[in-house]
Amino acid sequence: MKLEVDGVGKDYLIPVIDSVSFAAEAGDFVCLLGPNGCGKTTLLRIVGGIEPATRGRVVLDGRPVVAEQRQSRKVGIVFQEDRLLPWMTLRDNVGLVLTPLGAGITERAATADRYLKLVGLGGFEGYYPGRVSGGMRQRAAIARALAIEPDLLLMDEPFGALDAQNRRIMQTEVRRIWRETGRTIVFVTHSIEEAVAIGTTLVMLSARPSRVRELIRNDGRAERAKLVDDLNTMIMEEVERQQGEGPPGA
Amino acid sequence: MRDWLTRLHAPTLAVAAFIVAGWWALSVHYGAYVLPSPRAVMAGFRDIVASGEVWTHTGASLARIAVGFGGAVVVALLLGLVAFLSRLARGVVHDVLVVLNSTSVFVWIVISIIWFGLSNWAPIFTTFMITLPVVASNIVEGVASVDRRLLEMGDVYRLSGRRKFTAIVVPSTLPYLVAGMKVGFGLALKVSVVAEIFGVTSGIGYVMNFSREILATQMVFVWALVMILVMTLTDKLVFDTVARRLTRWRA
Repeated sequence: MKLEVDGVGKDYLIPVIDSVSFAAEAGDFVCLLGPNGCGKTTLLRIVGGIEPATRGRVVLDGRPVVAEQRQSRKVGIVFQEDRLLPWMTLRDNVGLVLTPLGAGITERAATADRYLKLVGLGGFEGYYPGRVSGGMRQRAAIARALAIEPDLLLMDEPFGALDAQNRRIMQTEVRRIWRETGRTIVFVTHSIEEAVAIGTTLVMLSARPSRVRELIRNDGRAERAKLVDDLNTMIMEEVERQQGEGPPGA
Repeated sequence: MRDWLTRLHAPTLAVAAFIVAGWWALSVHYGAYVLPSPRAVMAGFRDIVASGEVWTHTGASLARIAVGFGGAVVVALLLGLVAFLSRLARGVVHDVLVVLNSTSVFVWIVISIIWFGLSNWAPIFTTFMITLPVVASNIVEGVASVDRRLLEMGDVYRLSGRRKFTAIVVPSTLPYLVAGMKVGFGLALKVSVVAEIFGVTSGIGYVMNFSREILATQMVFVWALVMILVMTLTDKLVFDTVARRLTRWRA
C-alpha cells in the first residue's frame, strides 16, 4: 500500500510538528528517526488515524486518513507497550482483533495460532500475558498487528522496553516477517543502529517543531558504518538545537 | 491435616481459649442474666439447630438481604454503566454517592418505618440504601480506572462498542465489583439485623430483641454467634472463591 504524508503538522500548546512530508511505496520499511520529543510518536498516531493533524494530510492508496473515523483500510499498530488484555490468553488476544473482520470462532483461533507461530510463540498460545516474558508479550502484540493482515503496519519503538539481546533477536524477526509478508511498515525508533540495520527508507526529523532533516534510501549502496556515523552527527546537532532553544516560554 | 492446623493458626486458638476462660470467670461473677456462661450459649446453639429455628430466622434475614442487597447491586451496576457512558454522569453519580455514604443507618430505619410501616420492606429498604453507595462507589471507581490505552487499542483495531465493553471494561471492573460486594454484604447483614428490631416477626434481629425481652440473655449470644458464622462462611466460601477464580490470569 502506498503511503503519502503530505505537509503534516501538529500544534498542541506549541507547534510540535512543523511540516513533515515523505512517501513510501508498497513493501517499504520506513524508519522514523529524530531527537527525543520531536514528535515521532505523534506523527505515527496521525498516520494511524488515532489523532487528527493540525495541518496537511495523510493519504493511503489515494484515500485520505481521517482521524477517529472507521474506515475500510486496515492498519495494525504495535505500541511502545504491548497493550495485551491481561485476562485473555495470547490466542484470545490475537483472536479478539479478528472479530470486526467477521471471522468465526474456530477461524479466529486458527489464524491467531498461525501468527503466534510466525513470531516464534508456537506452544504458548494458551498462556496469559502475565506468565510470559516482556519480549514474548511484545511478539504477541506484533502477531496481533499482523493477524488482521494490515495494509500498513505502524510500530512505535516496539523494542524500547527490551534488553539488548532480545532487541537484536526481535530486529531480525521483524525483518524476516517483513520479507515474508511484504507489508508496508513505518517504524519509530531512537536507535540509529536499529534503523540502519532494518529500514529501507530512513526519515531523519529535526528538532521541535520538526521537519524532515534528511531522507535516505538505505539500499545497501552506502556504507553502513559511515551512514551510522553521519546520522549520529545529525541527531547530535538536532539534540543540541532543541536544548539550546530552551523550554517554551522561557 | 497439617495444612488445616496451620490455617487455624495456633496462637489465635490460644487467645480464643484465654478469652473463653475469662468469659466463664466473669459469667460466674455476674450471673446468667448479665453474662451467660459459654456452656449455656453452646447449649442454646444446640437447641436452635435441633429445633430448626436457626434456619427459619437466618433464612428470613438472608431473604430480606437478598432483596435489599440484590437490588442495590443491580442499581449499582446500572450507575456504573451510566458512569462509563458519560463523563458528566460520572461526576453526578460520584457526588450523589458521597451524600448517601454519609447518611446514617438510623435515618433510613426511621424513614423506612414511616414509609413502609412495620413490614418486610423496612429492613429491605434500609439495607438497599446503606449498601448501594458502597457497591456503586466501587464499580464507578473500577469503571474510571479502566486503562485508556487498552480502549485506544480497541479503537485502533476497530472493535465495536459492545465488544470493547465486554472484552475490556467488564473484566477490568469485575475485581472492583467483587470487592464492593464483599464489603457490601457484610454491611447488609449488620444493617438489616438492626432494622429487624422494628416491626417484623422473624429474622436474626427480631429474635435477638425478643430474647432480650423474655430475659433469655444466652440466646442473644447464640444469635450473635450465628451472625458471625454466616458472615465468615459467605466471605470465605463465596467471595474469596469468586475473587480467586476471576483473577486466575494473574501471574
